[in-house]
Amino acid sequence: MTMLCVTTERLPLRRPLRGRRIGGVCLGLAVHLGVSVGVVRLVMVLLTLVGGAGALLYVWFWVTVPVGDPVLVAVEQRPAALSRLAPRLREPGRRLPVTDIAVGLLLLIAAALLIAVRQGVAIEYSWVLPLLIVLAGTALAWSQLDAIQRGRFLSHAGGRTPVNVLRLLGGAVLAALGLFLLVGQDDPIDVLLRSAVAALAVLTGAALVLAPWWLRLVRELGDERAARARESERADIAAHLHDSVLQTLALIRSRADQPEDVARLARAQERELREWLYDDRRTPGTSLASDLRGVVAEVEDTRGVAVDVVVVGDCEPDLGTEALLLATREALFNAVNHASGPYSLYLEVTADQAEVFVRDHGDGFDLAQVPTDRFGVRESIIGRVVRRGGTATVKSREGRGTEVHLCVPIGER
Amino acid sequence: MTIDVVLVDDHLMFRAGVRASLDDSITVVGEADDVDAAVTLIRSLQPPVVVLDVHLPGGMGGGGAEVITQCADLLGTVRFLALSVSDAAEDVVAVIRAGARGYVTKAISGPDLSDAVRRVAGGDAVFSPRLAGFVLDAFGAAAGDIATGDDELDRLSAREREVMRLIARGYSYREVASELFISIKTVETHVSAVLRKLQLSSRHELTRWAAARRLL
Repeated sequence: MTMLCVTTERLPLRRPLRGRRIGGVCLGLAVHLGVSVGVVRLVMVLLTLVGGAGALLYVWFWVTVPVGDPVLVAVEQRPAALSRLAPRLREPGRRLPVTDIAVGLLLLIAAALLIAVRQGVAIEYSWVLPLLIVLAGTALAWSQLDAIQRGRFLSHAGGRTPVNVLRLLGGAVLAALGLFLLVGQDDPIDVLLRSAVAALAVLTGAALVLAPWWLRLVRELGDERAARARESERADIAAHLHDSVLQTLALIRSRADQPEDVARLARAQERELREWLYDDRRTPGTSLASDLRGVVAEVEDTRGVAVDVVVVGDCEPDLGTEALLLATREALFNAVNHASGPYSLYLEVTADQAEVFVRDHGDGFDLAQVPTDRFGVRESIIGRVVRRGGTATVKSREGRGTEVHLCVPIGER
Repeated sequence: MTIDVVLVDDHLMFRAGVRASLDDSITVVGEADDVDAAVTLIRSLQPPVVVLDVHLPGGMGGGGAEVITQCADLLGTVRFLALSVSDAAEDVVAVIRAGARGYVTKAISGPDLSDAVRRVAGGDAVFSPRLAGFVLDAFGAAAGDIATGDDELDRLSAREREVMRLIARGYSYREVASELFISIKTVETHVSAVLRKLQLSSRHELTRWAAARRLL
């Protein structure tokens, strides 16, 4: 879990596939700029009313902005050393490309209409529509190319899914149709057909000659890239396994006769490996949650126990959370020293406060009975938090364990 | 009456461990180690409960969630309990949203796991502290964001939030019940309601929320 109250970085501009109305331009812009989708759509519509500027802008973004989930892209762009190693589960995509089919059908109908018009009545704008069709066709084909580049379909046999082939074919047909209509403005249909066949023949010839070379180039490029990626991944994994797991195993073997040490080492290694495999790591010093995990790690390592940690939300550490962290550490050590497990730790960060609950399953104790010279609970836990404007309560019931509740205000700057 | 269970996990050792730790009232009737084998096995056996690892090889890379999606038509008779070493919210939530009735970590003790299987078989939802934490995260922990009507899918009611927070703090259902002065049955009702919201709400679509939480 990597979370932060304030997203400091802007999400990259992408056209998301889910939740889009037409091309995902407005949604992508909204996510990128961090404003509501409704506002962006409204602005687009208003701009369209002003001489069609909005529509042009929309088409421009549609063509130039690549498809993708902004959040996933942002995650992928993070430095590899900070990302989790285990692959993310893939979300099942939309099965039927309804929008594509609708747009394609619309364009085909337009093309058919155009041909009909050309045969019958000649209209003035005869060059506008072919141009539009060419544009739409290329856009369709490009979007397919782009999807392959993004690797979104790579899991489905190198981007050659029926949908993609359909898209490419549709785009090519539309573009060719549009081009012919555009070039052969006034020529009769048989001349057009003949030149079409000639053009096709030339294209096929060129393709036949160039295809093997092109294929080899593509394959080599792909192979090389994959090999490089594999190599660097392998090096990373090997380095990490050596630094952590191997060292720990060696330590465990040398202390095989000391079960407590072995348990402690195993637990520490488990925690580290888990974090490495399944979590995206944070830059140090920017996350209360990861600082808290550090405290828990310290307690677990020195005392050889396991603490169940649940974290909701996160924020940047400040003086208040610093006090909270120290008090939590004290409360955890208290619980581990005087009570029995299982131990639970719960951190919840909301917009204006950070709360911690430390719970054990010991016999419980009475705070009033604790001698006044004992510094632990009163000073190290309660005093610390109260001085930062927070609250601290200790709830202890016989046979049901003790729960320390700490709460400090945050975000007062 | 014993409960038949199918175990799906790609680690032989782990399956053996789970089989040994389940008590006598639960019988393991089948085991599978990847997505495709799991789907075939579940379709042929139709067990009341499937204990399912979140991360599985095979299929299209969707792991446990894909198994459930492919068995979606059986969800009325077959119930899924997700089991994982992964602490990543996105993985766990994906499996729950696919239709799993609960999530426990692999560190769970034998008796607790047996209990969880029985609960799932009985139609209840099983929430570990960690899953409760994910839920609170997903629905926003801010106190102001509270559902007013029962039909609201995108927000938790005040009571549901309270129950989730107690579970996240390490309270068992019984302890939650006595803390809030309600019956265990009521706790189970709240938990099931939360599970339903987690599965049905569109809160997980690409929103500012997701952006703020899944990102650095």
